[in-house]
Amino acid sequence: MKIILANGSPKVGDSASRIFLAYLKDYFTDQSRQQPEAVLRDEERKILEAEFHAAHIPEGTMEELKSADALIFACPLYVDGLPGHLLSCLMQMESLLRNPQWQNPGLRIYGIVNCGFYEGIQAQYALELLRNWCARTGLAWCGGIGIGGGGGISMMPAVEGGHGPRAPVEKALAEMTDTVLQQKIQENKYVSVAFPRFLYKLAAQAGWRQSIRANGGKVRDLGKRPEE
Amino acid sequence: MKLIITDLENFNIAVEGEYKLINPHGEVHPCIGCFGCWVRTPGKCVIRDGYEGTGIEMGKCSELIFISKCCYGGLSPFIKTVQDRAISYIHPDFVLRKGEMHHKRRYQNIISLSAYFYGENITEQEKETARNILEANADNYDGTVKTVCFYQTAEELEDIRL
Ligand SMILES: Cc1cc2nc3c(=O)[nH]c(=O)nc-3n(C[C@H](O)[C@H](O)[C@H](O)COP(=O)(O)O)c2cc1C
Repeated sequence: MKIILANGSPKVGDSASRIFLAYLKDYFTDQSRQQPEAVLRDEERKILEAEFHAAHIPEGTMEELKSADALIFACPLYVDGLPGHLLSCLMQMESLLRNPQWQNPGLRIYGIVNCGFYEGIQAQYALELLRNWCARTGLAWCGGIGIGGGGGISMMPAVEGGHGPRAPVEKALAEMTDTVLQQKIQENKYVSVAFPRFLYKLAAQAGWRQSIRANGGKVRDLGKRPEE
Repeated sequence: MKLIITDLENFNIAVEGEYKLINPHGEVHPCIGCFGCWVRTPGKCVIRDGYEGTGIEMGKCSELIFISKCCYGGLSPFIKTVQDRAISYIHPDFVLRKGEMHHKRRYQNIISLSAYFYGENITEQEKETARNILEANADNYDGTVKTVCFYQTAEELEDIRL
């Protein structure tokens, strides 16, 4: 089985999307964590990563897609939708996929959209855009996850054994792994980090204050209204 | 002031009153997710390519009008990229609105949002997504939605008045 993990964050280095894809990669390669019915022991598993950081399809991706079984996008929510650069890539892919040369009827598409706000449900329309893209390109949309509190995930410790603030997200990602391996479809699932919302808000706001000071600015400049 | 953001290079639509137009004039660089528009040059995007001031223009407008090819139920890549680059319109701090987390206002103006989408065979699902996203944008900008409408071609739009 060949799975392509597509990182749709514009950030080349660390990003929440990268953290979620790393979990998926671990789950796909560690069979002990999977549901017995999802474990296809004899089958070779190939996990590839595609870096969708700019407004063009990463080199070699279309070629790999021809023989892939699943393509999983992980990206941030940008103004209630997909980031502009990823949208450009999707449009380029749509036009290439009209050509039989690139078509692969067996390809299944999944999506993980993480957001800065606390409620994972705020990512629902970005997942709808991915679903609508699949409908236009003739690809099979197989469901996704909306993750709330993604903006804080890198600051939250990873705790073993299904505990800690990342736990609900890890659980949703593990379930998606099983869905992908069993070539099934899932309803979109919406989760938030296990961290109280008011504390998340306070921590983020403290973070902005720290950041503006680190950049040589003053806290009151956070509300600045430049003229031009 | 009406702020019109469109992907049409040749803009031939009648507009009543004062307006400002943002349409393709050279390539737009995508947002890089750095939040520099909140913590380095508050109110303005740090990428200097001619599209860094949209957040400021949004702070001056009473209406924000998108004229866009409908892409899967959303704005086209050019307009979406301009919109991504303009999150400095809002303040980084959070508020709760309708029970959900959103951002605080930076400016006092209340934006009324409209979208005129064009494209062949826009599906019902795409139309629904488009309406939903505009409503969500209005919640995020703490504004309102005026109209969302759909046309088969960009030429049909030349008969409207904004
Ligand atoms: C331009 C821009 C627009 C954003 N819009 C939203 C939004 O509408 N709702 C939301 O919850 N978070 C929004 N965010 C926050 C990101 O979704 C959040 O920081 C996410 O964790 C980034 O993921 P990444 O690290 O994988 O890129 C926005 C961030 C940027 C830079």
